[in-house]
Amino acid sequence: MGLFSDIYNTVAKFFRPQEEQGDASKSVATNRLKLVLMQDRTNLTPKILEQMRGELIDLLSRYVELDKELLELNFEQEGDQVALMLSIPVIRAKDEEEIEAALKAEAEKLEEKIEELEEEIDNSDVISDDNIEENNSEENSTNLTSTPDEMNSSKNNEQEISFEECHTEQ
Amino acid sequence: MTGRVIVITSGKGGVGKTTTSANIGTALAKAGNKVVLIDTDLGLRNLDLLLGLENRIVYTIVDVIEERCKLKQALVKDKKNPNLSLLAAAQTRDKTAVNAEQLKEICDTLKEENDFVLVDCPAGIEQGFQNAVAGASEAIVVTTPEMSAIRDADRIIGLLEAKEEIKSYKLLLNRVRPNLIKSNEMMSVDDVVEILSCPLVGIIPEDTGIITSTNKGEPIVNDENALAGKAYRNVAQRILGEEVPFLDLDEPKGFMAKIKNAFAKLKAKV
Repeated sequence: MGLFSDIYNTVAKFFRPQEEQGDASKSVATNRLKLVLMQDRTNLTPKILEQMRGELIDLLSRYVELDKELLELNFEQEGDQVALMLSIPVIRAKDEEEIEAALKAEAEKLEEKIEELEEEIDNSDVISDDNIEENNSEENSTNLTSTPDEMNSSKNNEQEISFEECHTEQ
Repeated sequence: MTGRVIVITSGKGGVGKTTTSANIGTALAKAGNKVVLIDTDLGLRNLDLLLGLENRIVYTIVDVIEERCKLKQALVKDKKNPNLSLLAAAQTRDKTAVNAEQLKEICDTLKEENDFVLVDCPAGIEQGFQNAVAGASEAIVVTTPEMSAIRDADRIIGLLEAKEEIKSYKLLLNRVRPNLIKSNEMMSVDDVVEILSCPLVGIIPEDTGIITSTNKGEPIVNDENALAGKAYRNVAQRILGEEVPFLDLDEPKGFMAKIKNAFAKLKAKV
């Protein structure tokens, strides 16, 4: 049987037009090359791409329920321009309450993060304090009080930026 | 007279820069233009071999720069065509012996008395590339339908785009194998052009005649029957501003291929 099918395949292949013989290594090469060129051209490493993907999922899943497994992030070239193509299967849209809840959760998360960061900065200040303590302890105390203010202002900045992003997205 | 200075570059080595330089230069000279070829691959010179001029070289580009001879003395005339001459690279020095400004000066001087100055660029994107590009206002990027060559060509195109002096650059796709493209084992011309989004100046089929022509030190454009020679002559005509259709490489040549093609057509009708 094996011999017969071998002969049949060889003969059939001979009479088949070449275009029908399926995509071989060419399409593999083209696809690999396209991806690697996009990375070269945009300086986006696979790690950054993965991060971008993750953040996009986080952002979008505040508003819609997504099938995260099937999300595709690709680059496509149209002439000179490179387009970022995001394909996401949406399971369902969330209602307003859910969206608000998600936004609140997000805001809480951010606050927690900021607190963590503040603590870290405080700690590092304490360490640097130890070094300079002998010289001028009074100045250090003013430094410490100024840091939370700085953090607050940077927090405001962050919120502004995220609002801008929302606008451009829409 | 102000001639055109064209750099022939690729990024990757071994894709046929030097073969392309020799052939386009010869074809342009045959068409009646005064042409100078400059080999800027210092330490790894080969353009002299492809032209069969290796025994005639007395002075090199480094001798000109270090003022051991005049520029005219260093130009070696081609055996067959008095319109064509070569400025050879130094074989015993490395790329640091020349800088971009010096090469630009040489190109500027040569273009005064020639229609074309073709600069054969070394592989890579370092000093040698920067030198070769310095005096040029046009570029031909040589690549083959292979991933590594295309990736490097893309890098080169990016670098050329950033150079103000380079007014135009075109792609020359070398070593194309129509039968591999047909069986989908090789990227097609359209694939490569789409990926690099760069205008084409030529498609050169893989031709075993290139090996024998290199062996003999005679560019394949001199062989009227060779397909690659014809393709290179077409490139030269396009450089001269003529509109020449690209060679149809799909035509089946062998007897078996013809039968196969006939069957395919028959099947398509039924």
